[in-house]
Amino acid sequence: MATFDFRTAQESARRASTLLMLGFLAMVLVIGAVIGTLGAVALHGEAVATTGVAAINPATVLGIAAAVVVGILAVALIRVAMLGNDGAKVAQSLGGKEVTEDTTNPYHRRYLNVVHEMAIAAGLPPPRAFVVKNEKGINAFAAGVDPSRAAVGVTHGALAKLNREELSGVVAHEMAHIAHRDTRLNTRLMGMVFGLVVLYWLGRAVMRSFIFRRWRGRDNRAVLPALALAIGLVVAGLLGVLCGRILQSAVSRRREALADAGAVQFTRNPRGLANALKKIGANADGSRVGNAHAEEARHLFFAEAAGGITGLFATHPPLVERIRALEPDFEPASDPIWRMDDHAILHETRAELTLGPWDRRSP
Amino acid sequence: MELIVIILIIAAVLGFGVILYNRLVRLRNAYVNAFAQIDVQLKRRHDLIPRLVEAVKGYMAHERETLEAVIEARNHAEKSREQLGGAVGDAAAMAQLSQAEGALGSALGRLFALSEAYPDLKASTNFLQFQEELTSTENRVAYSRQAYNDAAMAYNNAVETAPSNLVARQFGFQQVGMLEFADREVIQEAPDFSFR
Repeated sequence: MATFDFRTAQESARRASTLLMLGFLAMVLVIGAVIGTLGAVALHGEAVATTGVAAINPATVLGIAAAVVVGILAVALIRVAMLGNDGAKVAQSLGGKEVTEDTTNPYHRRYLNVVHEMAIAAGLPPPRAFVVKNEKGINAFAAGVDPSRAAVGVTHGALAKLNREELSGVVAHEMAHIAHRDTRLNTRLMGMVFGLVVLYWLGRAVMRSFIFRRWRGRDNRAVLPALALAIGLVVAGLLGVLCGRILQSAVSRRREALADAGAVQFTRNPRGLANALKKIGANADGSRVGNAHAEEARHLFFAEAAGGITGLFATHPPLVERIRALEPDFEPASDPIWRMDDHAILHETRAELTLGPWDRRSP
Repeated sequence: MELIVIILIIAAVLGFGVILYNRLVRLRNAYVNAFAQIDVQLKRRHDLIPRLVEAVKGYMAHERETLEAVIEARNHAEKSREQLGGAVGDAAAMAQLSQAEGALGSALGRLFALSEAYPDLKASTNFLQFQEELTSTENRVAYSRQAYNDAAMAYNNAVETAPSNLVARQFGFQQVGMLEFADREVIQEAPDFSFR
């Protein structure tokens, strides 16, 4: 068995996440300061024009800066409240159908059992379990602000293409997100990014009103600094959104690495998770999710839900990197699972369900 | 002035002590809960087995002895479980339960090995369902033990390490035993999760 020191991985990822959150807050503070200065220049426009920078009142700068920071945070909080607390609602909005105890479908039965097993391993109450039908990609998600209102979901593809061991790894990864309160963190991050979006909207509105006034010919000397403020708002908002998205993705990538580590802690078995990731690499549909809401919930999923996103805006570390964290000598070119075709994958799961987990491939 | 400083220092030390004490209580509750969860899962396992035996009896009429051995091992394990009563008890009772569960595991292993010779049985939906339920139950037992051991280790670490060991000694927080996985290999002929 590959050795995987999950405790160290968790600690380092947690530290990095804290740093990124602080980075986000620092960014909001910087934006506040910039807008505060611009605002003070705008308010004392005439005085600045005659006496230079000395006329700027530090109290005005601070006041505007504080207002901007509080405003961004308030908008963020409202957005978080709007996103809601109930994991089941998120699961339903992503097209999930709940699996209940009375199911007779062997795939669903096994999935429900795995969810209960992983909840026990995590020491949490079992979350409600959902299946997203008509999705051939292999993916899963967790939602809900705390463990008592949590839900997990898997795609139809994950149930059809993963064996019991692999499904356990994937569900354990989602339980780790719930245990680490990642769903709550992600909601907060979405809220902060939204706060910056509103800043941009505000700046655009102010700018429009000034342009409008100039056209009406009511020009005066205060307009130029005020217009500078509006442009400042727009630029700060845009840059903020961009940096926010990058930070959000970076935080998400970190939390994914941490959840992989948590999954190994719960299953004590890196192989299941590693093989599930390999099957995403092997699977023609990868981890794609076609649902319209998948885009905004990208960071909730087990693996990239939208194709072709890499680098700074990726919410997940690259597949190969994630597998190598679990199996250091993994080579895609020579790996039998990574090279499996869809038919063989489907057949394997079906065979396991009829023959039982006794009959398993050697690692 | 000096008096205020002294009072502040005493308050800080007391406050820190309260935090450490509360942490120890939380960790103790966690492992007690985790142990109760093992009991729940063992009960589940013991409830499932008579139904399994009932379901396979028709197919495996010639294996009466094996089936009886399973039921007997199950009853013995259930009795040991009831004796322990779902609480962290004395080491002897816990060892006895662990042994009874091990015996039950090997009896079930024999039953499943024999089932290979009965294709009708292996193909029946009922048997497949039981196989899944039993696999899940074994996993739940294993994971609940693992969760208990994790919780017990976190608690033991707090009892042993500074500075919480001072509070632990003062208020009689004792170290607690970890569970052995003596019967694991036998049970886990099923999914071969490797436990370290």
